[in-house]
Amino acid sequence: MKNYSWKLRDIILVALLSIIFGIVYLGAVYLASFLTTVLTPFGLAPLGNEILFGIWFMVATLAAYILQKPGVAIVAEVLAALIEVLLGNFYGPMVIVAGIIQGAGAEIVFAAGRYRKFNWLTMLLAAAGCCVTSFVWGFFRSGFGLLSVKLLIVMFLIRLVSSVLFTGVISKLIGDGLARTGLLRSYALGQSEK
Amino acid sequence: MDRLNPGYKFLTLLIVSMTLSLTYNIRLNLLVFFLSFTATLCTPSVNKKRLFLGLIPFLLLAAGMFMSGLIFPAEGGAATGSEGFRAVYVDSIDTALQLSSRVLAFGGVGMLFALTTDSMDFIMGLMQQFRLPPKFAYGLLAAYHFFPVVRNEYRVVKSGLKVRGIKAGPLSRKRVFPLIVHAFEQSESIAMAMESRGFCNEAPRTVAFVVPLRRVDIVFLAVAVGGVIAGAIWL
Repeated sequence: MKNYSWKLRDIILVALLSIIFGIVYLGAVYLASFLTTVLTPFGLAPLGNEILFGIWFMVATLAAYILQKPGVAIVAEVLAALIEVLLGNFYGPMVIVAGIIQGAGAEIVFAAGRYRKFNWLTMLLAAAGCCVTSFVWGFFRSGFGLLSVKLLIVMFLIRLVSSVLFTGVISKLIGDGLARTGLLRSYALGQSEK
Repeated sequence: MDRLNPGYKFLTLLIVSMTLSLTYNIRLNLLVFFLSFTATLCTPSVNKKRLFLGLIPFLLLAAGMFMSGLIFPAEGGAATGSEGFRAVYVDSIDTALQLSSRVLAFGGVGMLFALTTDSMDFIMGLMQQFRLPPKFAYGLLAAYHFFPVVRNEYRVVKSGLKVRGIKAGPLSRKRVFPLIVHAFEQSESIAMAMESRGFCNEAPRTVAFVVPLRRVDIVFLAVAVGGVIAGAIWL
């Protein structure tokens, strides 16, 4: 019924999308690093990054929403991570692992809907999914286990709000907006809109 | 460092980082940071200015994590009672050092890779040694080269909105939407351009840029991974 393979066009599209969000993130990250620096003396520095965390997952949900086939969320995140590495992201190889894990969070939710349901609920849940998996990953990567539970709860809540807002709401709005322009006629989302 | 096979270097550093994330070892973290920083510094082709500038965010982040660890350590270690104060203090210093040294270790490893690897070689290496399908490899490279174009567009849209008297922050949907619309058009035309010039995923292909895999790469993998595991056990 659906074509599951990746077309060259889709790959380039997803890579371009991740470049766009990468640039947007860079534009916003100065704000975050300012915040981080201000919060450092209070021991609250991790909160600064959490605010923008949702932008990282936007590619996963937006690409999945547009292409609507299995594996898109994970592959999109990995492509985005590869682009990050190409652009000389200093976090290096670990970005790829993070990409797989974050993408998986959205993927699980889309898979639960058998890649047929792409409504508000699935988009928001997918956003929350990215948030949860990336947070669990934080325990391994950044040693969250060593921090107090209270701080972790606050961090988690901020990240949840950020990912629901960016990854869920804004991605969905962008997708719907794109569908209205008629650009997506040859993509799954554009066809389901009719 | 810059002559190692990029794919294998990536794999090596990935395993090293993964090992570090499963251990809590301040000395090992600092050693990894020190070694990778030195290795990066000693590679002739590395831009030293970028190296030191790149270090700043990690130092900030490490400082941030240090303070978080100091002020908000996990409750488990917090001993009670009057003599507890010293214990708590030592404990949270330890936590703080754990968290911040870890940031530095990852930063060192990440910078080592980023500053000594050519993007083109990296993707070619992934394709030649790790079977990344050519359509992903070349698709990514094609998009990657559009980075300056997209960045420029982001600025153009900003000034466009300014001229029209519309206020839009860096995260505004008004600024992102035109870029995305353009990405659709571009991806279509790039793909068409590539395919019309005979780009095909399935056909056997020859490569102009051969990325060799040499014995040094395997030795580097073995020594680095072995070293970290040994360090995790004995340090």
